[in-house]
Amino acid sequence: MIRSLLHTSLALLLTFSAGFAQTLISGKVSDEKGEAIPGANVSLKDTYDGASANIDGSFRFSSTEKGKHILVVTFVGYKNYEQAVELTGAPLTLTIQLKETINQLEAVTITAGAFTASDESRRTVFKALDIATTAGATADIAGALNTLPGTQKVGESGRLFVRGGEGNETKTFIDGMVVLDAYGPAAPNTPSRGRFLPFMFKGTSFSTGGYSAEYGQALSSALALDSKDKQEVTRTDLGILSVGGDVSHTQVWDRASLAGKIQYTNIRPYYGLINQEVNWKKPFASLEGSSAYRKEIGKHGMLKAFGNFSTSSFSLYQHDIADPSQKRLLNLDNNYAYANAFYKDQLSEKWIIRGGLSYTNITNDANIEGDNADEKEEGIHTKTVVEGSLSDRVEVKAGAEVITRSYEQVLRSSFFPTARILAFKENVTAVFAEGDVYASNAFVTRVGVRAEHNSLLNEVSVDPRISLGYKLNTNGQFSLAYGNFRQSPKNDWLKLNNNLQQEKAQHYIANYQYISNNRTFRVETYYKAYEDLVKFTTGQEELSSNNGKGYAKGLEFFWRDNQSIDNVDYWVSYSYLDTKRDYLNYPNEVMPSFASEHNFSFVYKHFVSKLKTQFGATYSYSSPRPFNNPNESTFMDGRTPAYHDLSINISYLPKSNVIVYASCTNILGRENIFGYEYAATPDVNGVYAARAIRQPARNFLFLGVFITLSKDKGMNMLPSL
Amino acid sequence: MKNLNIIPLIIGLLVFAAQFTFANDKYTEIMQKNIEAAYQAKSVEEFQSLANTFHRIAEAEKTKWEAFYYEAYAYVMMTNLEKDPTKKDTMLDASLKALEAAKALQPGESEMVALDGFIHMMRVTVDPASRGQQYSGMAFQSFNKAVAMNPENPRALALLAQMEFGTAKFFGSSTADACATAAKAVDKFENQKPSSVLSPMWGKNMAQSLKDKCQ
Repeated sequence: MIRSLLHTSLALLLTFSAGFAQTLISGKVSDEKGEAIPGANVSLKDTYDGASANIDGSFRFSSTEKGKHILVVTFVGYKNYEQAVELTGAPLTLTIQLKETINQLEAVTITAGAFTASDESRRTVFKALDIATTAGATADIAGALNTLPGTQKVGESGRLFVRGGEGNETKTFIDGMVVLDAYGPAAPNTPSRGRFLPFMFKGTSFSTGGYSAEYGQALSSALALDSKDKQEVTRTDLGILSVGGDVSHTQVWDRASLAGKIQYTNIRPYYGLINQEVNWKKPFASLEGSSAYRKEIGKHGMLKAFGNFSTSSFSLYQHDIADPSQKRLLNLDNNYAYANAFYKDQLSEKWIIRGGLSYTNITNDANIEGDNADEKEEGIHTKTVVEGSLSDRVEVKAGAEVITRSYEQVLRSSFFPTARILAFKENVTAVFAEGDVYASNAFVTRVGVRAEHNSLLNEVSVDPRISLGYKLNTNGQFSLAYGNFRQSPKNDWLKLNNNLQQEKAQHYIANYQYISNNRTFRVETYYKAYEDLVKFTTGQEELSSNNGKGYAKGLEFFWRDNQSIDNVDYWVSYSYLDTKRDYLNYPNEVMPSFASEHNFSFVYKHFVSKLKTQFGATYSYSSPRPFNNPNESTFMDGRTPAYHDLSINISYLPKSNVIVYASCTNILGRENIFGYEYAATPDVNGVYAARAIRQPARNFLFLGVFITLSKDKGMNMLPSL
Repeated sequence: MKNLNIIPLIIGLLVFAAQFTFANDKYTEIMQKNIEAAYQAKSVEEFQSLANTFHRIAEAEKTKWEAFYYEAYAYVMMTNLEKDPTKKDTMLDASLKALEAAKALQPGESEMVALDGFIHMMRVTVDPASRGQQYSGMAFQSFNKAVAMNPENPRALALLAQMEFGTAKFFGSSTADACATAAKAVDKFENQKPSSVLSPMWGKNMAQSLKDKCQ
């Protein structure tokens, strides 16, 4: 009896097990092109059952589950795949095709005209750190970008001159908000430095043409700086410099951070040591402070507020060109305040909104022996942008902005008791929209349009911008860009004539870029047509019109290699430029004085780990620049000598929190001449006396010690240099 | 013999119960097996396959942090074996995603903060020149935080020691601090008392070999 019972139980047990009969599921996972996807994760939803695809994309597993289930296949870079299956015990064979997701890291990017620097993405050709460690740039953003193709060295200015454009044709944006006058004041014909230090930014996007419809009021170039997010480490930094000192502190909370920096610069001790071209009475001194507040709000919100103020002054003697013993004292006081607030949040999983407000206030008081020119400019910029994806293949952004600017110059002279006031007020209202359409990871088209209304010039404009990128293979890609760009004339002309129109430019750009294994090759060619440039009708600036025109075309090469030699990183840039303009007081179309046909840069960085030291060198060359010699009958017929500069720098890290830095420009001591100034009137022999515009000092020597104090070890200021 | 008729029923119930307890303990059993495999894995493929397995378990369970934690662990370990920097970042992104999921299920766990630091540490290796500053600072911060949360966590100490050692070596300064941390880590490893059979146990060799280097 018991035996039979046991038999029954056994039979029962067997039946039970039969209930757990397994279904064998096998198949192959491939992409749309039929290429196997090894490592793809195949699973039955809500069960442990599943397998990883092998090297040939095949998979095989069995499941004791029964009935209707959902089979899920996932892999990074592909869309999740789901399929309903019924498990009956009979083997299942499946062929699964995964669709690629458009991945920002892998997908083609539009590189025509654009140099982006970011620490996050490796696919960029230029990194934020590069700005700090480029010899000759002395940690100036514009200085470092001047080693890239598309720029022309204009040594007496320090600004970015892009593709035959003037310095004011490059606009700077911080977190998308416009900055009025991004450069500090400088004595006539001496280079100015950028007001914003590279360490504040996590990303830099330098575009030499064909940029997004988001950026307006820039004729040649847009420099978009992306400020850092919330800081993670509480720290204090001290800098002792040969020209001053700075102290900064960053305080970090759970969801917010606040950083502040005070910097004092006085070049008097330095000028005492090294002979200067400039006859200073009181050399340049400035006090500058900046602070940045970051707060995370809600799940995805980020508030950034940034403020920068500086006050600087200098006085110097200007010598008469014809009679150098005659001199006049120039005093200059400059106050600058910039504040911006930026907010970004997620509207939904696919849509984000960002917006901001920026305010700039500049006063610049110049005094030349009783003649006063007091300048005041104020600007407010507000902007809102919504961006997101319509699908994984279509990304759009649209926004609106208002830029209000008021400018006033009060001129007083001992000869004229009543002040002369030159002023204007301008309101630029703009809307823009732009869409990126990905046909695949290899092909993208960007179509944008920008509409603007300018209250002062009473002008409505619509500018199209189109670009596309095509990825030939993993490493190489082509880009094309076309666009219309416009900008209000310089304050200098607008204040005299409020009836001017905006200046216009059309860009056509073709680019090829190859990035592989830390090596980058780029070649780019472009054509740029200028229209409606300001021109003086009678040769005098008081009477002007928009009858000027011009063009620029060129070919540029860039090569960077961070791979071939251990611990060595170098890049080479070459730009060929052919440009002519008929504008301002030009009698006909000629090459302007700020342009140079050939520009070449070689930047070399070598880290010697044994010495814990990085050595850097930069060689720059510019071919002769035109200048107008009034003693010659042909306009702008003179040519300066070519420009050569070899600069070096050394960064030494004796301890993890200390950096010793030294740099010197023009170590070969070349006498570079940027152009000539001429006396306003001829002398008794009918000759206009000339004076060369030279470098303010043959060399600029800079020494600094930077110390970081923080609770966590291993911090230093390398990127802040 | 009427009462004997229930024997099949009892046996049947027992079998059923066995299936049931098996189902309940299946998580622990399968996890143990795969965790063991993860500690032995030596190739990208093995780690990928294990990460996939942990992911499947995590998705099926929905409330168990360990499965996500070991998925994150498998991805970060995979980075050690990968050369392609783009792929390294993809793996670290996957690791971070899994770790975030684990953190959501079990907030305030020192082990996960330590693993956070491990991910930052591996980010540095992708591009030391431009990432060193930011990510090494973040790694230090995570390790210190993990130690503060649980001074008995040997992995947090071992990773901290690793970071201190690397920094000291780079700057040619004294490795005394790093070695002291390594010794402390080894000591904690010997006395670690896992709260469950699924608690993380990895990292002893790392601490030991660092301690050996110190002598």
